[in-house]
Amino acid sequence: MKRVYVCTDSLTGIFSAIYDAWKTKLGENEVGIALRGSVEQELFCEYVEIRDNEKKAIAVENLIKRHLGEYAYWNIYHTILSHDSKKADVILGMMLEARKIPDSTRIMEHLSHPKVRRMFEISRKVSNEAHYYREIVRFRELQNGILFSEIEPRNRMLSCLGEHFSDRFPLENWMIYDRTHQMVMVHEAGKQWILVHGEQIDEKLITNCSVKETMYVKLWKGFFDSVAIKERESYERQRQHLPLHYRKYVTEFQEI
Amino acid sequence: MRITQNMSLAEKLNILSDAAKYDVACTSSGTDRKNDGTGIGNCAKAGICHSFSADGRCISLLKILFTNECIYDCKYCINRSSNDVPRASFTPDEVCDLTIEFYRRNYIEGLFLSSGVWKSPDFTMEMIYQTIYKLRTEYRFQGYIHVKAIPGASQELIQRVGFLADRMSINLELPTAEGLRKLAPHKNRKTILTPMRLVQNSMKENKQELMVYRNAPRFVPAGQSTQMIIGATPENDFQILNVAEALYKNFDLKRVFYSAFIHVNDDSNLPVRTDAGPPLLREHRLYQADWLLRYYGFEAKELLSEKNPNFNVLIDPKCNWALEHLELFPLEVNLADYQMLLRVPGIGYKSAARIVKARRMGVLDFDDLKKMGVVLKRALYFITCKGRMMYHTKIEQDYILRNLLSVGDKVPISVREMNYKQISLFDDVNFRQEQFATQQGKKAPIEQYLG
Repeated sequence: MKRVYVCTDSLTGIFSAIYDAWKTKLGENEVGIALRGSVEQELFCEYVEIRDNEKKAIAVENLIKRHLGEYAYWNIYHTILSHDSKKADVILGMMLEARKIPDSTRIMEHLSHPKVRRMFEISRKVSNEAHYYREIVRFRELQNGILFSEIEPRNRMLSCLGEHFSDRFPLENWMIYDRTHQMVMVHEAGKQWILVHGEQIDEKLITNCSVKETMYVKLWKGFFDSVAIKERESYERQRQHLPLHYRKYVTEFQEI
Repeated sequence: MRITQNMSLAEKLNILSDAAKYDVACTSSGTDRKNDGTGIGNCAKAGICHSFSADGRCISLLKILFTNECIYDCKYCINRSSNDVPRASFTPDEVCDLTIEFYRRNYIEGLFLSSGVWKSPDFTMEMIYQTIYKLRTEYRFQGYIHVKAIPGASQELIQRVGFLADRMSINLELPTAEGLRKLAPHKNRKTILTPMRLVQNSMKENKQELMVYRNAPRFVPAGQSTQMIIGATPENDFQILNVAEALYKNFDLKRVFYSAFIHVNDDSNLPVRTDAGPPLLREHRLYQADWLLRYYGFEAKELLSEKNPNFNVLIDPKCNWALEHLELFPLEVNLADYQMLLRVPGIGYKSAARIVKARRMGVLDFDDLKKMGVVLKRALYFITCKGRMMYHTKIEQDYILRNLLSVGDKVPISVREMNYKQISLFDDVNFRQEQFATQQGKKAPIEQYLG
């Protein structure tokens, strides 16, 4: 009978489940992981609830880093941030496959295996979305000088932006608000960024912009219009590169 | 003639970005630089596009001219001295302020600063130098800066600017010296190629210095680029591609950009104005070929020849090459070397690398290729997996061509939107040469100008 471990949708949860599944030494078709809340009941399956366990998670993290290498870890990390409901099972499948091949660090090259390929796709989607937001996050300067930005991403990829923006604006106070997942990334000048969950944002405060903000928005929009060449106009091509979905909070596409 | 003294910043930005938009280079790639913790900005090796304008081109840098005052009278240029257009100039502080404030809001990746030639090349270059010196030191900006070197400016100035900028470019403007003489009477090949050579040599010296002193200042770390206007003069694609190849080989350029000629002025030396719009398909084919030169190990003479000097309107240069060399195909994907895989239509350099890695782990089949990003509808005529082709196909030029055409060429939407008549009229270079009624004389070989 197949055994399916059910865990929470978090790094700790998924790694805890992998820990237990790994210990059983069962094969790929005999064990799986499902996320709590998105379990598809199957016949002839035994479901085991897994509690989050920091120790187990750290053990799995070390195992991955030591035996599968940095690149595989990078892929697993991005897969965990995805909104894909089968991601945990995909990671487990990929790890079980890595156990079989002679050089486990090359597992990500093994693209002809369905689970590895699926993971490659999922992690690529997440890292692509993170890359998109590196481009189209738009800050506005609030009254108190804080640079504020809001986004609505599909995946939980806010943490992928931290290093980029804190390196870019080390001396600024800035925050990025993920409306989909109700998370905020906060950076205080000269310090490390942090992630804040479940905190209510004062909607009034974030619309209260500094005096010069409108001027720079206007200048930017003016530039955005004048830099386009009329003879080459192509809104379809623009949409291809910058889909409408991403434009919601992008300054140059907003009405003043 | 300075009637534009009291202009608002918005008006200036409007005029000077409008005047700069015909320059195509807007990439922010080539440098990887972390912030040192004392200022603002960093650089990402791959470059970052921040937006896309209404013409679908990427906006990565604040692309502006320092001034559109110009003493030159280049016939294709909107800012030529004989044109009656509103003129404006920034001050260094205005440019710095705009750059920093746009950058803080994550609108842009950095600054692209070009300029009309104001008073003299040296005077203009000095203004540019002052601006970016201020931006780097006073405003502590560590993002990307792309600067145009002004042809004819002194060596010393260009070198000083090079230590502050990430990329420098000098526009070749037109593919041949003859075209340049005709359309840009104040510029000549020598004043363009001299600074290009200077930047190249300074970069080489700088590399040596950096080997000895790791913290030595860096000279244009993202390299230099150039651009040519396509379709303002009667050169064929073979000539243009040869020029590009010579530039890559002899001047170590990072990129050559091609800019489809856009009618902004009426001049008897320019081609006759038509309704067809800029030659976008031709520009697209040149970019495709350019990639083949830089990433796929092709040479210009493999893609075109004296006899057949222009790109096919219907299929891309790589497919065209493959059809001419059917004796090399089909190729066994599991055995072929990387260089040959690169030459298969439908296999890009990324999927070729994936194939080489993945086949170490197991034998690949068509299904695997598809998942790796190979475009099978194009590739299937040229490859086998485990000794078998995907379908039963003939290896015959006409047959494959017909099938490839029914699949459709992957051209950008802006080109696809044109109807058939426009394509055939404007991109068939043989036809277009009739527009240059006056220029039927002998064409000089191009290499001699690029020695």
